[in-house]
Amino acid sequence: MGGKMKNTTVRCMLTRLFVPLLALTLLAVACANDSSTEPVTTTTNQPTTTAADSTDNGTDMDADEMGSDANSSADANDGEDFSAAFIYISPIGEAGWTWAHDQGRLHAQRVTGVRTEFVENIDDGSPADTEAAIRTLVADGHDVIIGTSFGYMDTMEEMAQEFPDVVFEHVSGFKSNDTNFGNTFGKIYQPRYLTGMIAGATTQTNKIGYVAAFPIPEVARGINAFTLGALRVNPDVEVHVNWTSTWFDPALEGDAADALLEAGADVIAMHQDTTAAGLAAEAAGARWVSYNSDMSEFAPDAYLASAIWNWGPRYAEIISSAADGTYTPVPYWGDYSDGIVDIGSIADDVDADIVDQVNEVRQQMIDGTFNVFEGPLFGQDDTQLLADGEVMDFGTLLGEAFFVKGVIGDIG
Amino acid sequence: MIRPLLVRREKPLPGGQPLAFVLGSSVALFLGAALLWVAGDDPTEVYQRMLSASFGDLEALSATINRAIPLALAGLAVAIAATMGLWNIGAEGQILFGATAAAWVAQIGNAWSGPLLIVAMLVGATFGGALWALGPAIAKAQIGVNEIITTLMLNEIAVRFVRYLINGPWKDPEGFGFVQAPALPDQSELPGLFERAHIGALVAVAVLAVVGLMVSRSSWGYELRIAGSSGATATYAGISLKRKTLAVLVLSGAVAGLAGGIELTGNATRLTETVSNGYGFAGIIVAALALMRPSGVALVAVLFGAVQVGGQSIKAIGVSDAVSTVLQALILFGVIAAGVLVAYRLELAKAKVHSL
Amino acid sequence: MDADPLVDPLADPLAVELIGIHKRFPGVVANAGTELKVKRGSIHAVLGENGAGKSTLMNVLAGVYRPEAGEVRVLGARRVFASPSAALAAGVGMVHQEFRLVPTFTVAENVVLGAATRVLHMGTVEKQVADLAQRFSLDVDPQRQVWQLSMGERQRVEILKALWRAAEILILDEPTAVLTPQEADELGSIIRQMANDGRSVIFISHKLHEVKQYCDEATVLRGGKTVASSLKVEDLTSPQLAELMVGDATHTIRRPEPTQACATLLMVENLHALNNRKLPALRDVSLSVHEGEIVGIAGVAGNGQRELADVIAGLRNALSGSVRLFDRDITNASARQRFRAGLSYIPEDRVGVGLAVQLSITDNAILRSYRQHRRGPLIATDRAKAFCAEIVSAFKVRAGSLDQRIAELSGGNLQRLLVGRELTAEPSVIVASQPTRGLDVQGVTAIQELLIDARNRGLGVLLISEDLDELLAISDRILVMHGGRIAAQYVGVDANRSAIGLAMAGEPA
Repeated sequence: MGGKMKNTTVRCMLTRLFVPLLALTLLAVACANDSSTEPVTTTTNQPTTTAADSTDNGTDMDADEMGSDANSSADANDGEDFSAAFIYISPIGEAGWTWAHDQGRLHAQRVTGVRTEFVENIDDGSPADTEAAIRTLVADGHDVIIGTSFGYMDTMEEMAQEFPDVVFEHVSGFKSNDTNFGNTFGKIYQPRYLTGMIAGATTQTNKIGYVAAFPIPEVARGINAFTLGALRVNPDVEVHVNWTSTWFDPALEGDAADALLEAGADVIAMHQDTTAAGLAAEAAGARWVSYNSDMSEFAPDAYLASAIWNWGPRYAEIISSAADGTYTPVPYWGDYSDGIVDIGSIADDVDADIVDQVNEVRQQMIDGTFNVFEGPLFGQDDTQLLADGEVMDFGTLLGEAFFVKGVIGDIG
Repeated sequence: MIRPLLVRREKPLPGGQPLAFVLGSSVALFLGAALLWVAGDDPTEVYQRMLSASFGDLEALSATINRAIPLALAGLAVAIAATMGLWNIGAEGQILFGATAAAWVAQIGNAWSGPLLIVAMLVGATFGGALWALGPAIAKAQIGVNEIITTLMLNEIAVRFVRYLINGPWKDPEGFGFVQAPALPDQSELPGLFERAHIGALVAVAVLAVVGLMVSRSSWGYELRIAGSSGATATYAGISLKRKTLAVLVLSGAVAGLAGGIELTGNATRLTETVSNGYGFAGIIVAALALMRPSGVALVAVLFGAVQVGGQSIKAIGVSDAVSTVLQALILFGVIAAGVLVAYRLELAKAKVHSL
Repeated sequence: MDADPLVDPLADPLAVELIGIHKRFPGVVANAGTELKVKRGSIHAVLGENGAGKSTLMNVLAGVYRPEAGEVRVLGARRVFASPSAALAAGVGMVHQEFRLVPTFTVAENVVLGAATRVLHMGTVEKQVADLAQRFSLDVDPQRQVWQLSMGERQRVEILKALWRAAEILILDEPTAVLTPQEADELGSIIRQMANDGRSVIFISHKLHEVKQYCDEATVLRGGKTVASSLKVEDLTSPQLAELMVGDATHTIRRPEPTQACATLLMVENLHALNNRKLPALRDVSLSVHEGEIVGIAGVAGNGQRELADVIAGLRNALSGSVRLFDRDITNASARQRFRAGLSYIPEDRVGVGLAVQLSITDNAILRSYRQHRRGPLIATDRAKAFCAEIVSAFKVRAGSLDQRIAELSGGNLQRLLVGRELTAEPSVIVASQPTRGLDVQGVTAIQELLIDARNRGLGVLLISEDLDELLAISDRILVMHGGRIAAQYVGVDANRSAIGLAMAGEPA
């Protein structure tokens, strides 16, 4: 008796399992039918891979020439076109860290004419995934591999050793070797200083909230620069930090912003990869300073300004130097004068006087005559860190693990 | 109205599992092809790519094997507990804590010789995983606290704990302020077998064999199966449910912890909070697909690993991450669905629906 | 509704007609051309031994199984049911042996569960349920939660479920198995009211006296075939029915010769214990079992018999008092130690306590002795199978293979396996709790003979049973339990049915 009952239950369960499968089949067939009447569109921005395709495109004509040059001068043991591949930590999406890198890739492809490809959503916490992605790309004959997340660093270092003929460029780390493994990053704290000026001038409550990912030097530097910028125009301002312990988690980032808004902040800045903090500010009627890319369209009322990345020129430089065999790895930390960082659009309602000031400082940064971290500089606990006129040394700047006066929060 | 009905076959189809594999793969590959076609990718190219990336040559095979190791051990961990009707949802945390214990051993034994250090790290990982399962085991055995909840919650705690270590006491002094654990000593890397495969594969196979035999053939495993089938029957036969619960959850954690140790010594360069990489959760699927039998776990893990490796590889030819993920799921589902069809017959019956 | 429009449902006197039903399961032909005709407004018994195909046939009628061949006609219209709900929609409701109720839902919620396709007002439903309950004397409060109800009350909820869905035909699958005798009688009058109301009841049973008592007609199945169709029950005697069921005249149990009581094997003194709800279940129970003696424990279910057996077997702790086996105090010994000391136990729940349902025949056969079949740390499969094969052949367990899961065995075969295993260990005392409950006539006889055999070999048997006829037939002494105490004691030959009945009701003469 029991056995028969059991069979019935199993059968019911299996029937339930089977129905979705059938539905899926029908759906797939239905979709397939639809697509035969409409032109097929790809979901990703695939670069053209054949010469035939590129004849109708002026820039890609250059690509062929560049490609042939590359073949003759640089290593091209696979006998195909010179090409570069990018590894992204998340899907490209419409804005943010990976989107900014992909804009850079497209720019580099346009400028150099070198074919580029990308793989998205490679978990940098998984050396196995990272290694598999790199090996696949190397096996596909790519000559330059650019990884855009910190966690790729160790694996890229190993792979660079194993594949000496391929150029590896790692973004946002600190390792390099003498031949084919370099790293690239930029002084985003410079435009953060500028956005700090705008935020400092805008806040009514003198409380600015800062949604921040992890207490690491890169983030601390940004918070400090932002705070110094805000203090420059508003000596009463406080910057309250709320850690999320994640780079990419819209729900958590939104919650963190909400907490700051409830605590009285009326401007939200962020070091995160999504627009969630901006949406929270928009919903609360507060203002927002974005990061990575100009995100004004996502929260048009809240948006004030943004610190943005402009990776294109650097990527073009890496790829073309690799193509003509002149690549040498350097620990690259580009600044305003290199054009790798900038301030995005500034909201119309920001006081014209402040905009003028911002533009002035920006020009000084471009000219290399302005140092964000220059004395007198005081730490959170009022200890003097830099004497009047003293410029922070490179090592301290790189490993910045403190907050300046004006920041409310614990760096852990 | 046509209703599909599954009717149990009196005898499983001759050819059984291999047939299921072919049948399921065909259906899944066909559906996948439709999907790829709609997404604008070339199915032939994509499939060739997946196959060559997972089984195409020794290198590809080694990648698949490396991937299958943690999946198989995590699957085994889940399956052992399931034999007694317990759900270890905490393999993820046990893997991570096992890896943490191994990393701790590596710090102590920085100067030890390679073989000694590796063995110590793997043993440490095993104990670490067991330790991480001990709390839920005691709570379940002594006062009946639901192990699903405790093991699940400990996953998150393990992540936080490692995060604390990396941000604090274990922060890499050579990391320029970046938050990371110190690099593992060079001699802690598992010796290779061929290409990228390392001896972790042999360790995993040995553990699968021994634990599989224990569960299916030993008197200890017999007691486990009795307890899993009916706790009252176990008590009737004089089997202590408390001791069994304790033992099985701790063993489950130990196996998962070992996976963490192998992952750390075999693939990683340093401890990260993501070293378990979802293997602990995937292990639940692996165990379920293997019908909770340790003997089936290895096979499913290799298939699972191959699909993952293949799925990653096709991203490089422009297949989007989303399409790749759906394709992986389709193939796994298709093969398993076909396994069902070996045991069950499909009837399309015209059924009248009555109503008053 | 796609009933044949040419057939006027009211013109057909038959509520149910099953014609040539065939249904197979792996390795088993459950129905091979089974026939059944049930008149409207009657109570129709479907009789047969375990494995005769009764339940399968009813599951076909109720839409749970689909027959490979044959015709199902309900109220004159030919039907093919795709599901139980389709059958219910056509007026066929079934009350299964295992109730399908949600313990934390109220009675009314359980009644509407699965049928609530539109917004329902619970108050209205409760009213409807209360009305139905009153109309058929189904005494149960619609607002109570099911976990609070007794088995008899839960069964009424199942019946209400079917009635609320306007079932014209109600199938009761061995409905009295879980009921006390009083509850069974109440059920008898409930179904009589339903029949008087024009509904038809199909009553599945293998208890002859129930069929005689409650039913109008009977159809007898044997080996998946109908051997007697629509017999008038009042024209038949129980032996006639039994003969039809088993194919030959039933064995009457030979009353064992009273033996000279020798050494005391089991001694229970002043035992106190709690039940699962932590309420006192045993109050100062003392008894003894001697060599070559069957001591019967009679009583209405729930008077401490289950707890007594569990305490003796070591599955439940005693609050106070002692249990001794020979001269050894085993009050605090583990279940395994007691077994090793010579105490076998046939528990009331043979599946779930005595046997593990998901495991194979072999796995179950070695439950007591697996440690002796070891080779190194592993269990030697060959030795385990040989051991199992001995039990299977010695105790006539009918099984396809030793690797078969016991879920596929019939109740009688399960019990043969369990009793065989317990006796194979050559115990000195065997505690048997409801050992023949739910078995067919042959199964009952076989088990009873095994117990008598054991007694004749000098074992002490403590037989706990709710079947007074059984106790009277084979016990040397009968103790009656009531309210957790031993209320009365009778020596076999002097035992008087009515006196025991009074003692069971708490009114000893």
